[in-house]
Amino acid sequence: MFSAYSGWVIGAALLLAVVSLVTAIRNRPMGAVVLAGLVLVELALVVQAVIAFPKAGQVTEQATFVGYLIGTIVIPPAAVWWGKAERTRWGPAVIAVAAFTVGVMTGRLLQLWDMP
Amino acid sequence: MTTRVNTGPGRLLVAVYGVFALAASARAGVQIATKFSEAPLAYSLSAFAALVYIVLTVALARGNGRLALAACLIELAGVLVVGTLSIVDSQAFPHATVWSGFGSGYLFVPLVLPVIGLVWLFRTRRLGQV
Repeated sequence: MFSAYSGWVIGAALLLAVVSLVTAIRNRPMGAVVLAGLVLVELALVVQAVIAFPKAGQVTEQATFVGYLIGTIVIPPAAVWWGKAERTRWGPAVIAVAAFTVGVMTGRLLQLWDMP
Repeated sequence: MTTRVNTGPGRLLVAVYGVFALAASARAGVQIATKFSEAPLAYSLSAFAALVYIVLTVALARGNGRLALAACLIELAGVLVVGTLSIVDSQAFPHATVWSGFGSGYLFVPLVLPVIGLVWLFRTRRLGQV
């Protein structure tokens, strides 16, 4: 269940990264679409952390696993905080980096999960 | 000049450095806490890399161009030295650091980042003097 759900989370995060990147390339500041997307991804990441955290004991690299879980839920709010003041294309560019990062981190979580 | 370093493209740069500060610190923390004796040199370098990224993130975010420039040069030297050593003397580096293989484990971003950082710092510095 964890793997299937996380697959969707990765997809959503990467989609948000692409949308944010396109927004930046089109030279637009951060808008409602990017912000709403980030809120949705953050909610999905929180749900993922809630599902995965109690199962951390089953993973070999426990500390790394928990670190990634915390990292994924901390990064999106930090990106909004840092990017919102920038009313240029570089605002959504910050969100693109954050979205790509949490996507990759969720992929790493899955790897750690599948490791014997 | 101090306000320009952290706006526009600089804001993106801070975000990327922030991610690396987080990744490198977490990695070094886990390595040192759980298996430091296995490869003290590699893990100490891991911690050093983390420190450089933290200094750079803070210096860039606060618009401290001079400190950022110094840290950027150290970062570039670190990637090149550790990257070369990890290939030439792989015995001393059996365990990965962020800078091993010129940052190949991180899509070579650690190799490209200091170059972009230096270009950006020199550009803002020149604009500041005009």
